[in-house]
Amino acid sequence: MHTIEAIGLTHHFSKEIPVLENIEMRVREGSIYGFLGPNGAGKTTTLRLMLGLLRKQGGEISIFGKPFEKHRTELLSNIGSLIESPTVYGHLTATENLTVWQKAYRCPKNRIPEALRLVGLHGTGIKKAHQFSLGMKQRLGIAAALLHQPSLLVLDEPTNGLDPGGIIEIREMLRNLNREEGVTILISSHLLPEIEKLATDVGIIHRGKMLFQGSLASLLLRQHQASRIAIETSDNAAALQLLAGNGLDPRIEAGCINLAAAEKPAIADINRKLVQHGLDVYRIATVEDDLETIFMNLTNQ
Amino acid sequence: MSTSFLHSFQSEWLKTRRSLAAWLVIIGGFFLPFIMLVGRTVYHEKTSAESTSPLFWENLAGQCWQFMALFLLPMGVILATSLITQIEFRNNAWKQVHTTPQHFYTLFWSKLMVIMVMVVQFFILFNIGIYLAGAVPALLLGTVDYPSQPFPFMYMLKTSGRFMLDILPVVGLQYLISLQFKNFFVPLGVGIAMLMLSLVMVEWKYGYIVPYTYSPYNFFELRGSAMSGSKDVNIHWLALSYFAFFTVLSFVLYISKKEKG
Ligand SMILES: Nc1ncnc2c1ncn2[C@@H]1O[C@H](COP(=O)(O)OP(=O)(O)O)[C@@H](O)[C@H]1O
Ligand SMILES: [Mg+2]
Repeated sequence: MHTIEAIGLTHHFSKEIPVLENIEMRVREGSIYGFLGPNGAGKTTTLRLMLGLLRKQGGEISIFGKPFEKHRTELLSNIGSLIESPTVYGHLTATENLTVWQKAYRCPKNRIPEALRLVGLHGTGIKKAHQFSLGMKQRLGIAAALLHQPSLLVLDEPTNGLDPGGIIEIREMLRNLNREEGVTILISSHLLPEIEKLATDVGIIHRGKMLFQGSLASLLLRQHQASRIAIETSDNAAALQLLAGNGLDPRIEAGCINLAAAEKPAIADINRKLVQHGLDVYRIATVEDDLETIFMNLTNQ
Repeated sequence: MSTSFLHSFQSEWLKTRRSLAAWLVIIGGFFLPFIMLVGRTVYHEKTSAESTSPLFWENLAGQCWQFMALFLLPMGVILATSLITQIEFRNNAWKQVHTTPQHFYTLFWSKLMVIMVMVVQFFILFNIGIYLAGAVPALLLGTVDYPSQPFPFMYMLKTSGRFMLDILPVVGLQYLISLQFKNFFVPLGVGIAMLMLSLVMVEWKYGYIVPYTYSPYNFFELRGSAMSGSKDVNIHWLALSYFAFFTVLSFVLYISKKEKG
């Protein structure tokens, strides 16, 4: 079952170009869905639409299998969210901030210290939240999202302002929530490495359009298919001619011959040919584009 | 009253803790009575002569209400209503509030209820302040007697009740504007402009059409010198009607807002 299913989402803020065009998004139950895209791609707008913060203009959104608008409060009671920047009432302490949400969600009071411990904010005591650092505010925002033990978490760039240690800590916590409590997580980011280490599924958005959606494995496969072979020989020019004569499409790049990826026997065959023609082969290697390059290639089209 | 409204109210009420508006209610309630208290303690000969007046409390309350009704009460309500409502904009919190499982109408009414409770709180503190301003000089100074007239509870209650009604249009319009505009200066500016307008308009024959004039009008009525602009109409009903109109409009605008955070 899909925890979130959005079909044909289209949105514009003014009359001009739409900010979102026909967005399709399917978040599998129990998955960690990484929603990737550069700044201004439309991630926050998509998430705001899904939570009913923006009036829907076109498309359908259902969560837990129910249309969002008809079941708004019922669905929201099972969703925790952090959109863009954390909401922090500066004149209140961390505990008071969470009490505001505890009343609104009508969840047990003992969840407050639990949530604070999860994000490492226990022991901030009577300190007012306006004295918190950016990272502490972010943690408070995450605590508010977790407070009522929702089965879906929607986190919009949740690691903004966290130090590297904090990022790892929060990632571990999210992974645990997903594994141990089966929480479905939709997490957006403009940084691929952050998603790569956590997500099971990926959606890539650019300029309001979905460029890719699928499992992380299928993205990796795509990456594999886009990989190439680099060959270094004693006479690259001669080798180039030889390979081109054999129906391949070699290029010289950075002192190496660069070929499209091939199966193992084909590679062995290439090697044999080169050696038979008296060329010394120094190196044959597979060059895989990293995800970053794939991401850049997708978004630079 | 459903449980969800009660929880929502508690959630909203918590946000006022240590807020500027909460301080304003306390300071605003005690400010004038405190000045009166100081005045009555310093000019103790005059004070001692007043103690036996059969209208002691009415006179004292009248003095306190004068500045309150004409300027401080409307100004205080303008500030408090705008500050309370703007807590969400200031803390960038609407998006979080609107993703809690609460109906928009529950949120609208519980926020308004918080403001109402604060206004009532203010009236209670103000009356306690008036009582203290009357009674404390007798405790501080041996030469001043405790007022001989018993404290007129019903009179005080009625007076406060009327002012409460008459200030409701201010609550209604300030609430409406503060829910719509991110910038605090919009509700503040509109509030101050309306207040100035009302102070100019009270002398006009049709001054009663300005919704912020009822607190001044009520004060003049209280003093027994009703202004022409309030002679032929029941300003309390007018106030209530304006409040109902502003609140319904405010509700519709709030519910139909396209961006909810
Ligand atoms: N309230 C708004 N009014 C007008 N334009 C907006 C508004 N919010 C976002 N946009 C525009 O929509 C586009 C997508 O923004 P956003 O969804 O915030 O991107 P992301 O979260 O991926 O960085 C941007 O071009 C942004 O300028
Ligand atoms: Mg964003």
